[in-house]
Amino acid sequence: MTALLSARNLSKHYGSVHALDGVSFDIEEGITGLLGANGAGKSTTLKLFLGLLQPDSGSADFLAVDGDDPVMARQRIGYMPEHDCLPDSPPAAEFLTHMAEVSGLPRVAARVRATDALRHVGLFEERYRPIGTYSTGMKQRVKLAQALVHDPVVILLDEPTAGLDPMGRQEMLDLIRSTGRDFGISMVLSSHLMGDVERTCERVIVLDGGTVMRTGPVTGFLEETETLVIEVSEGEQALVDALAARGLTTTLVGRSLTLEGASGDDYDTVRNAVVDSGALLYRLAPERHSLTEIFERPRDDEGDA
Amino acid sequence: MTQSPGEAVAADAGEVFDLGYQGYEGERHGRWQARRAIWRDGVRTTLGLGRGIAKKVAPVVFIGLMWLPAVIVIVITGFVSTFGGDTTDIEGPTFAEYYDWAFIFALLFSAVVAPELLCPDRAQDVLTLYLVRPVTSTDYVAARWLAFLTVMAFALWFPELLIFGWNALSARDPVDWLSDNWDEVPRFLAAGGLLAIFFTTLALTASAFTTRRPYAAIATIAIVAISAAVGSIGADAFSGNVGEWSTLINLILVPLSVSDWIFDVQGEGPLADRVYIIWLTALISGVGALLWSRYRSLGR
Repeated sequence: MTALLSARNLSKHYGSVHALDGVSFDIEEGITGLLGANGAGKSTTLKLFLGLLQPDSGSADFLAVDGDDPVMARQRIGYMPEHDCLPDSPPAAEFLTHMAEVSGLPRVAARVRATDALRHVGLFEERYRPIGTYSTGMKQRVKLAQALVHDPVVILLDEPTAGLDPMGRQEMLDLIRSTGRDFGISMVLSSHLMGDVERTCERVIVLDGGTVMRTGPVTGFLEETETLVIEVSEGEQALVDALAARGLTTTLVGRSLTLEGASGDDYDTVRNAVVDSGALLYRLAPERHSLTEIFERPRDDEGDA
Repeated sequence: MTQSPGEAVAADAGEVFDLGYQGYEGERHGRWQARRAIWRDGVRTTLGLGRGIAKKVAPVVFIGLMWLPAVIVIVITGFVSTFGGDTTDIEGPTFAEYYDWAFIFALLFSAVVAPELLCPDRAQDVLTLYLVRPVTSTDYVAARWLAFLTVMAFALWFPELLIFGWNALSARDPVDWLSDNWDEVPRFLAAGGLLAIFFTTLALTASAFTTRRPYAAIATIAIVAISAAVGSIGADAFSGNVGEWSTLINLILVPLSVSDWIFDVQGEGPLADRVYIIWLTALISGVGALLWSRYRSLGR
């Protein structure tokens, strides 16, 4: 995989607040999630890659284009901010045409691209209405459309589902996924919602307090964060002992056992232990960690130590 | 059957084209194209083109008022000459006097309309979408400045050109008239251009420090009105050098004094012409630098 964006020892402070503290990572082609709680440094990271902020130290480089002019490199980056950023007066088609022209496209091509982008996000019929008359969900779609109107190599999405109802959120995630997977535009999705990252992204970078907590493929990440819940009607202590004898340590609360970090092989071990212990199984199901629980786990760097 | 975007698929009923999202393989221009796009958008915004009626009212009214004397002079002389009257006794404003008349309406036009170019982009944070594209904040504000300057210069030059052309065409010998008066053209172009730079820089700088258009409009008018009042009071209250130098505070007198110098007519200012020229150049440069530094800080 080719790295599109690269952060090296990237630091940014706002007064005494450390928004980012010497983080290093690469973002490759595909859809990458930037996951973290509010204040983790996600938006700061995106703004540093876009050149909207200057780092206190380190570098945030866009590697997908040749040349050393960081301003011209922005021709191939799209950005969808979290907050409102659209003008009220112009129709969406006119605004997108203008934005495409500012990104370097000739006028005729800009018009065509604006129409294509609005059709892609489902606003073709509404394209001549002033943006101020749009609903929140429609404005989010215009924000996505303006980010891809100039056909960028990578789009940085800052909390793209913010303010959307469940239906609108699902539609936006589907749109992001289809844009990324069907049309080959790489995406960096910043979110504090683990569900958004799970459903959309191939890789994830977890930020916490301005540092990288862990990185890796989402599938591997989910395996790591999977907890197996075993509920029994009786024989819970016998089951705990049987699992311990097989090398699996569980936590018993009432009649519910939890097995942290369960892998696929552990299901067979649990099945055998249930049979051998004579416990009456009521429920056996994987339980994913909440975002909070993930952040309470040891960090990648701590684990390596 | 699956198909890639844009691929034609043969079917019994004919060909079906999927016109979904497609990549762009065509030409990409550089930063000059981006600056030109922002300039063109600024001109359209200034004139309210592509917007509702409400956005067109202010430019139409104030530009109309700037052009009104020229139109009146042409209509009256045309009317008189149509009925065989002598138009030589009809005296319209001179080229220098025309800018004296247009000054107040140019001020109101810049105060009311110039904030449209900067305030909404910051209030609605559209500026962020510009700054993630291949332009810097300096490119953005320079293109906006040039856009308003374009309209303002045209609004000031056009009535002068109209009067000049009308006078030439209605003269008994147009060629003689042109050979006698051609030097007025570079003069009114220079004076109009200077006034346009003055108003554009002042109004856009006031707009750079607030996201509310009414505040910017009031600030622009207040700066000029208060400076004129203070300058006049100073000139009356103090005798000698102090009184004369206090006219430099007057932001109506200073640009019009330079305009009078360009037209080679006696200005109202008591100081030497070169003092007003240097002071106006310094004022415009200083205010322009303030505008530039404001946007540089916003772009960081």
